[in-house]
Amino acid sequence: MRSTGSRQQFDTLVRPWRYRLYGVAQRQAPSQEMAEDWTQETLLRAWRDFDQLDDHVAAYAWLLRILNRVVADDYRRDGRRQQLAPVLTTGDAVLNGYPCSAPGPFDQVLKNQSDAQVMAAVHALPDSFRQVILLRDFEELSYQDIAQILDLAPGTVMSRLSRARRLLAKRLIKANPSALATSHTKYTSVNPHE
Amino acid sequence: MSDLKNTNTHEWSDLHAEIQDWLAGYADGELDEHHTALVEAHLAGCKTCQHDVERQRILSERLQMIPTPGLSADFDGRLDIALANAPAGGKRPSGRRRMTNLKRWLSSLRPSVVIGSGGWAVALVLAAVLLMPSVTPDNINRIPMVSDVLNDYQRVALEELPIQAGSSEVSPPLPWANSRVLATWMTRVGGEPAQAYAIRQDNSLVIQYRISERVFFRNPDVRQAVARAGDFRTRADQLEVLGLPMEDSGLLVVAPAGNMPAVSESTTGAS
Ligand SMILES: [Zn+2]
Repeated sequence: MRSTGSRQQFDTLVRPWRYRLYGVAQRQAPSQEMAEDWTQETLLRAWRDFDQLDDHVAAYAWLLRILNRVVADDYRRDGRRQQLAPVLTTGDAVLNGYPCSAPGPFDQVLKNQSDAQVMAAVHALPDSFRQVILLRDFEELSYQDIAQILDLAPGTVMSRLSRARRLLAKRLIKANPSALATSHTKYTSVNPHE
Repeated sequence: MSDLKNTNTHEWSDLHAEIQDWLAGYADGELDEHHTALVEAHLAGCKTCQHDVERQRILSERLQMIPTPGLSADFDGRLDIALANAPAGGKRPSGRRRMTNLKRWLSSLRPSVVIGSGGWAVALVLAAVLLMPSVTPDNINRIPMVSDVLNDYQRVALEELPIQAGSSEVSPPLPWANSRVLATWMTRVGGEPAQAYAIRQDNSLVIQYRISERVFFRNPDVRQAVARAGDFRTRADQLEVLGLPMEDSGLLVVAPAGNMPAVSESTTGAS
């Protein structure tokens, strides 16, 4: 049996992160039920592996690392196929149809869409892209932390994030209801690289 | 970066292609000096990359505005039960982690007495930080503005409070009955200037920090708490931080736990 002390320690370190952790799970899960399953499984594994939490790692980064494994295990069991992560260039025609000096057309595209619509677009991103967006733009973690959580080189975090934001920007532009009514319609044909 | 496969052919230099993978790092301020200089040199002559940086910033800011989904009390309770019933796994030497972290952190604080000079003790500070359950040093750093005001509070409590003539006439952003401003000074919170007001409230030191609205709403937890409850609180055994949105600014109040004056005690509204 584990001592009460280590249980208290666990609660002290982990409890404050519970709802944030759930937030990250919820934002990538296909359903609320699954988000709850992932969160619970993450906390149970965290408790099981509590002795592996090392002095130099922040508790939250450690929890996110476990969550990441829980999600990957789940998807592996389901035999889920990875969505391809397309690479757009900064010269992409759709992107450049919406100049982005704020306040400008791109800014407007984002304002036109509700949080739920934006979240749906985040949700639809390829896993590898969604992960870095969630950890950076929602959780505001450093590239170093994200690299540790996802087991990537910091340079890879940076390139994925650059590409992920570009793809997300393009999809939000295309989902923008007013896009159809503007002269930019000609750009909305599907790019062969996407 | 095995997934780097830029299929677009273009007549731009190799740098233009390579730099596209660094633009997030540039927009986020995560590049080192050398790479920042390279990117800036390129941006000076490349409109599309310039726009991309701007677009990344706008997008990132938009995403940061989206509140964190809440966790239901029901599910929270089920987690407690699941954890309580979980079999014990590995063993953990108790107390080790906290002590090493605390030692490292405390050693970075300026060694000083814990008793301030104004005739009343503020012997709560170090003990408070040691006992705060949710605010280990790592956690503190997650919300920079909170870490900044806690550090500033400690600095002031550990040193002698600057006694300023006439400061008792100054009105703090959130005035309470029977409180007296002991001192006011400028500091930095979340990277931006902030005005601090030390207030003696009964026998405790309460400090109000008027900070910029931008800094106040930067953290998603804070935004969510304010949206839900009208304020943001970090509670601890011995110290608490209260965050309130004000007109055109934010207010962070640091007080010994249990001595945080109620917002309704305020003699004027906190609008
Ligand atoms: Zn370029």
